[in-house]
Amino acid sequence: MNSHLLPLAAVGEVGKSFFHHRTSETLPCQADTSKLFCFDWAKDNIGRYETPTLQHVELVAISVLVGFAIAFALALLAHRRRWLQPPLLAATGVLYTVPSLAFFFLLLPITGLGRDTVVIALAAYTLQIIYRNTMTGLANVSASVRDAARGMGLTDRQILWRVELPLATPEIVAGLRIATVSTVAIATLAVFAGGGGLGQQIYTGGQLTFKTNIIIAGGIAILMAISFDLILLGIQRYATRWRRVAER
Amino acid sequence: MPTPEVTEEVSSTGASAVRYENATKRYGDSAEAAVERLNLEVPAGEVCVLVGPSGCGKTTAMRLVNRTVELSEGDVLIGGESVRKRDPARLRREIGYVIQQVGLFPHRTVAENIGAVPQLLGWKKDRIRARTVELLELIGLDPELGERYPAQLSGGQQQRVGVARALAADPLVMLMDEPFGAIDPISRERLQNEFLRLQAEIRKTVLFVTHDIDEAIKMGDRIAVMRKGGHVAQYATPAELLMAPADEFVEDFVGADRALKRLALMRVSDIDLWEAPLAHVGQATAEVRAKLRDAEVPYPLLVDAERRPLGWLSERDLSAETVPARPDNPLGPLLDRDDVMRDALADLLQGEAQYAAVVDHQGRIAGVLSVEIISEFLASPKAKAEERGAVERPRE
Amino acid sequence: MIGLFLSPLLPASIGGAIEFIFEPQSSNVTGGKKVGGFSQVIELTITQLELTVLALGLSMLVALPVGLFLGHRGTGELLAVGLGNAGRAIPELALIAFMAAAIGVGLLNVTIALAVLGIPPILTNTFVGIRQVDRATVEAARGIGMTEPEVLFKVEVPLAIPTLMTGIRGATINIVATATIAPLAGVLTLGDFIINRNVYGSNGVLAGAILVALLALALEFSLAGLQRLLTSKGLKLSAA
Repeated sequence: MNSHLLPLAAVGEVGKSFFHHRTSETLPCQADTSKLFCFDWAKDNIGRYETPTLQHVELVAISVLVGFAIAFALALLAHRRRWLQPPLLAATGVLYTVPSLAFFFLLLPITGLGRDTVVIALAAYTLQIIYRNTMTGLANVSASVRDAARGMGLTDRQILWRVELPLATPEIVAGLRIATVSTVAIATLAVFAGGGGLGQQIYTGGQLTFKTNIIIAGGIAILMAISFDLILLGIQRYATRWRRVAER
Repeated sequence: MPTPEVTEEVSSTGASAVRYENATKRYGDSAEAAVERLNLEVPAGEVCVLVGPSGCGKTTAMRLVNRTVELSEGDVLIGGESVRKRDPARLRREIGYVIQQVGLFPHRTVAENIGAVPQLLGWKKDRIRARTVELLELIGLDPELGERYPAQLSGGQQQRVGVARALAADPLVMLMDEPFGAIDPISRERLQNEFLRLQAEIRKTVLFVTHDIDEAIKMGDRIAVMRKGGHVAQYATPAELLMAPADEFVEDFVGADRALKRLALMRVSDIDLWEAPLAHVGQATAEVRAKLRDAEVPYPLLVDAERRPLGWLSERDLSAETVPARPDNPLGPLLDRDDVMRDALADLLQGEAQYAAVVDHQGRIAGVLSVEIISEFLASPKAKAEERGAVERPRE
Repeated sequence: MIGLFLSPLLPASIGGAIEFIFEPQSSNVTGGKKVGGFSQVIELTITQLELTVLALGLSMLVALPVGLFLGHRGTGELLAVGLGNAGRAIPELALIAFMAAAIGVGLLNVTIALAVLGIPPILTNTFVGIRQVDRATVEAARGIGMTEPEVLFKVEVPLAIPTLMTGIRGATINIVATATIAPLAGVLTLGDFIINRNVYGSNGVLAGAILVALLALALEFSLAGLQRLLTSKGLKLSAA
């Protein structure tokens, strides 16, 4: 081969090795570990991801909702009872520290394997961030606004729901966003507890070396996380229109 | 020292009298009380200023009225009824509450802020809306601002909204805790004047807390000078306080410039102002020069079609055929008819002008003032009679 | 597939798990071979610790300088905070699997994968921590003649320690959690007990879970203590 054609040939070879061409097929993509990503296989098999993706969404949604409900309730309880705050912070902290995989199996004697275990573990993981952000958001409400509200004749409950919580919404939703994104990522481990999800696509039976599969599954998870984040961000911006209007 | 007679509990304008009976507030187990056995009577429809050094308990005393601080002993009566008998939240909805940082709800529009208490009381939407517009006009704000958010308003505007919010449900009593403290001095003066104008119209019972003795003298019908523990050193009209301080503490607190402070007891409108010859743009200068011959003030004042002053005309201006649109000399200090004499004098001296134009609250020329005119007035028998009269009755 | 997971699951008990930790066990599941026992536990724990420390060290090596630099200068907020947000979205399982498939198995590769997870929280928290130091204090430090590095290390860092340490603790939690699935990439950590159920049986699984949880809590506790040590007294007083 002429020397000045060598570079071209090299590029051609590299290109070929990254992308699977039907015409030059010798090995099915799954077995060929040199290929980074096979578009054709992806096109043909994209349907496989439908169920795991839906399961994943379900897991995340339920876990975050349960986690939010509990953390929010705890924060409201602790809001006016200072003595509750340190123990709750510590408790949610412990739940956050324990790795989810371990958590799944600590629950084993109690709830066995399956979706319930996964939801409990994932929800527990979200408690700390949501609880902490809610507390911070409420604490950051200006003292003079609280004073004025009280002096005007709003009851404690009215102050909480009409003044403090609306003003704390940005912080609370920020915590919710972080919790949701983290949960999408961790839910890939649900497969180990028999909970399904995208992790199942990655882990089940010898697929661990099939890069295309991992990229697709991981990619869907990341896209899901981003989508949830943007949706919640949209909600946050809608709920705090007054902030941006005022900043002009 | 004349003691305030026991007045009727509710004035004709619907305001209520406030009475402290041995009111005491003790925090924790501290031996010293924040407010100890306070006995004070605020007649309905009057502004009572609680003034004193930091920590004397004046704010605590004020808050005993709407129970944002709870009584340890004793009682506070509004319109003859004990505050202890009412549910705190409901009680507060009948009392206007204005604090230094205002505390407007940032997440609600100005209109929603103002309508907050009426909404709590269950007023119909239409009634709330009408009342909001009424109040915005009353406090001198464009009704359009109702749709804005507090953060879009200036400090002075926010304060006004705070006052409007407190007035919304037509309360029996108003509590004001250093309401103008966080604003720049110029706006503060303006707001004080406006509030006094407002009070002259609506005549609420007001408990006003301040640490500034000058503000107390300007705003109060009656002033309670307080010492640590909420002890009242003297409770009297401003004039009395200045001319006959009860003891050394009051004397020190009022300040060494008592005589000068007495200027705060009178207003520019008390004086017979001098008149300057007025000129309009485009008028023949010959006419103006003719007016000058018999005028009290030897300088002509340029005014617009609504008699609002634009500037002073100089010799050079008058050398032309017609009066020019732009006068040589700037307007200098502009005084308000409702200004207290002290502020007017300060502005005059500040501006280094010999004469200053005085306008009414619509900006129209009302007369001319100078240091000379003021000192002449102070020496006159009329002024002395005014002062003496101020001692015997609270300011009208 | 799921069936393969669930079948060897006899009821596990805490007693059984504790036994597993200390004495090599054999059960029907393992086909008579002995598994578990104290020495194996120690071995796997050490591997997990090793992995964690290495990965954390690598993360700090990369993220701290960048975070300190950007924070001190006040630029690169999009990068520092954006990376933090993005890092949270990385699915651990996919990362480990991909690293194993693309680069291969082995300690180094897994360490790199774990470091990738540890960098975002450290970077973000370092940046934010430095930015949140009172500007007036920083200006004063410059004013008395400190050089930029001195301002950074003598003033900004000590004041940012709480936030900084929180970032490191967060990174550690991520790393320890993901190190648990390192066996998928050939590095045997305590997670092996959990993942390879067929080998260790249900007692092993529970034992593994307990051990991993304890390890994570122990690390967190130590770092919290370290944070308390490093936080200057003045800061602690003003926070009270």
